Amino acid sequence: MSVMILLAFLGGALVTLSRQINGRLAVETSALQSSFWNHFVGFAALAAVTVLAGSFWPEGAATAPWLAWIGGALGVAFVASGSWLVPRLGAAMTGGLLVAGQMLSGVVLDLVRGADAILWMQLAGVALILAGVILSRR
Amino acid sequence: MSHERPPSPVEDVPAPARPLEIVAALGTGGLLTLMLLSNSTMAAHTTPLFSSLTAHAVGSIIAALALCAVWLLRGTARALPRQNRAPLWAYLGGLSGALTVMLTSTSANSALALTGTLAIGLAGQVVLALVFDLFGAMGLERRRPRKQDLIALLAIIAGALLIILARGLGA
Repeated sequence: MSVMILLAFLGGALVTLSRQINGRLAVETSALQSSFWNHFVGFAALAAVTVLAGSFWPEGAATAPWLAWIGGALGVAFVASGSWLVPRLGAAMTGGLLVAGQMLSGVVLDLVRGADAILWMQLAGVALILAGVILSRR
Repeated sequence: MSHERPPSPVEDVPAPARPLEIVAALGTGGLLTLMLLSNSTMAAHTTPLFSSLTAHAVGSIIAALALCAVWLLRGTARALPRQNRAPLWAYLGGLSGALTVMLTSTSANSALALTGTLAIGLAGQVVLALVFDLFGAMGLERRRPRKQDLIALLAIIAGALLIILARGLGA
């Protein structure tokens, strides 16, 4: 269990690490180039793992809906934007505001899809996040 | 990108986030929600590894096409100045991103579940970010957060934890 907690903690820390590295590359080149290298290097690494795992085309791939294929395109904009923001806002504020946007849109998505969640907690969370965003402004 | 901030001395308090940057960050966070929805749909149909592999493959192609478009519009002469002073490690941010998928898909399938993975991951993300800012990691600007920034971060994290828990407990 404690190993899993460590893995989850590291998983979050790696998000910050890659954003910091990509942000540095964006300073030297451009946000879009940084996003390209992020995806290309990540692809190479994952391709190597795939070869080791030996499963190139899992069964469900052919029947996956189109929605399942567009994540990478959104990722290009996500990484480019993060790389642009980190040198401007710093790692903590960039991370905080990205999480804020993720959570606010996540609640909207949950409400639209009628997902099971406790409404008052969601609304309290939204209020806290909005307060945080307003505080970050001045 | 025409607006450059005046150079500030090391360890200065950071300039407050400006509206354009805040709106961009919030919108980008919204993009992340859609991206995770897409990638988790693929993972549900296949495996987390395949999902991440295809996302990076599609991302590489889209980014390459976008770069070509930028270069065509600007003209290649402007696109290839000798500005490339980035150290080799600066090109390796993608390794860290690829590894993230492995770690989080492992812990999300443990007793922590998705809720625990998200909540603890949030902590890991913010703690390292504060350390990075304090030390100016990877050659980026050093910055000591203002008290107000810390309160803002705290409110955002508390709100995020509530929303994550609202899903975990409600499901």
